[in-house]
Amino acid sequence: MEGQPLARPAAFTWRGVRSGLAASLALAANSAVYGIIFGALAAQAGLDLAVSAAMSAFVYAGGAQVACLQIWVHPLPVLAVWATTFAVNARYILQSASLRPWLAPGGAAKTYGTLFTLSDGGWALALRRWQSEPADGGFLFGAGIAQYLPWVGGTFAGHVLGNSIGSPAAYGLDFIFPAFFAAMAAGLWKKRSDLGPIVVGAGAALAAEHWIAGHWSLVIGGLAGSLVGVFAHERAV
Amino acid sequence: MNAPFEIWIAIAGMAAVTYLCRAGGFWAMGFVKLTPRWQGWLAAMPSALFAAILARTLAHSGPIEVAGVVAAFGVARILGDDFAGMLAGIGAVAALRGAWG
Repeated sequence: MEGQPLARPAAFTWRGVRSGLAASLALAANSAVYGIIFGALAAQAGLDLAVSAAMSAFVYAGGAQVACLQIWVHPLPVLAVWATTFAVNARYILQSASLRPWLAPGGAAKTYGTLFTLSDGGWALALRRWQSEPADGGFLFGAGIAQYLPWVGGTFAGHVLGNSIGSPAAYGLDFIFPAFFAAMAAGLWKKRSDLGPIVVGAGAALAAEHWIAGHWSLVIGGLAGSLVGVFAHERAV
Repeated sequence: MNAPFEIWIAIAGMAAVTYLCRAGGFWAMGFVKLTPRWQGWLAAMPSALFAAILARTLAHSGPIEVAGVVAAFGVARILGDDFAGMLAGIGAVAALRGAWG
């Protein structure tokens, strides 16, 4: 991926938004399933419907929300809730940093609005798409809202239905996300020099998972693996 | 019923922390000149994070899920179609769980 002309102007078009929406049907289904699961878990943890839905609408980060449910007791440990949220979501710092060459110098309001909808899946899809098409911030926004609406709606449904829903695992629906990432990785892997970040990223994540707190493993893996890219570049020069 | 005030404080803080993560990396990179070295770092980020996400998932699952990842990766690689690969992975996991689960 290095050596591309990265300073091309970023567009933000409605065509891009539609294209992002259309490309995200599987991610939207995944988001609905996880929204329902989160809603049911939140009901079990004693959060009322308005609180659960507001959390999904304003935070919009499944992993962090589920992690915070584990420590949702009375009295609420507010600082621990915030720290847990940061630990789970710190990977977004890395993702949004990696968008800089693609979205700058786009319109600030659109770009910072789009970043609210940033998701693992939308980010992966957009970077994959921008390998072959000019970068369009609208695509990222479309992929983001395609998952946002089912996430909030799923939270509602899951909270109302509670435990009466069956297990999505029987149909492999809990596997949509890992399968998505495995397929994306296959598409992004172009040449042998891509192997370094993959191996180091996976290894560092597993080591962090084992020896340090699990919620830091993605950040540690992402940082360690991407630093290989710096050194790979220096060797190439 | 009315949720206690501290719950809304907690949610407001979660929302703020999350948005600062989502926007912060992009914002911070605006202050550095994107030299080839920085570009090398940013370009390697997706592969590294994908690998970390997959490794973490697989560390918490069994042989059926490993087979699902292999199926998704392999089919996407061979057919050159991400969506086909994803369906293959989900289908493989559902079928294997049906057979053994």
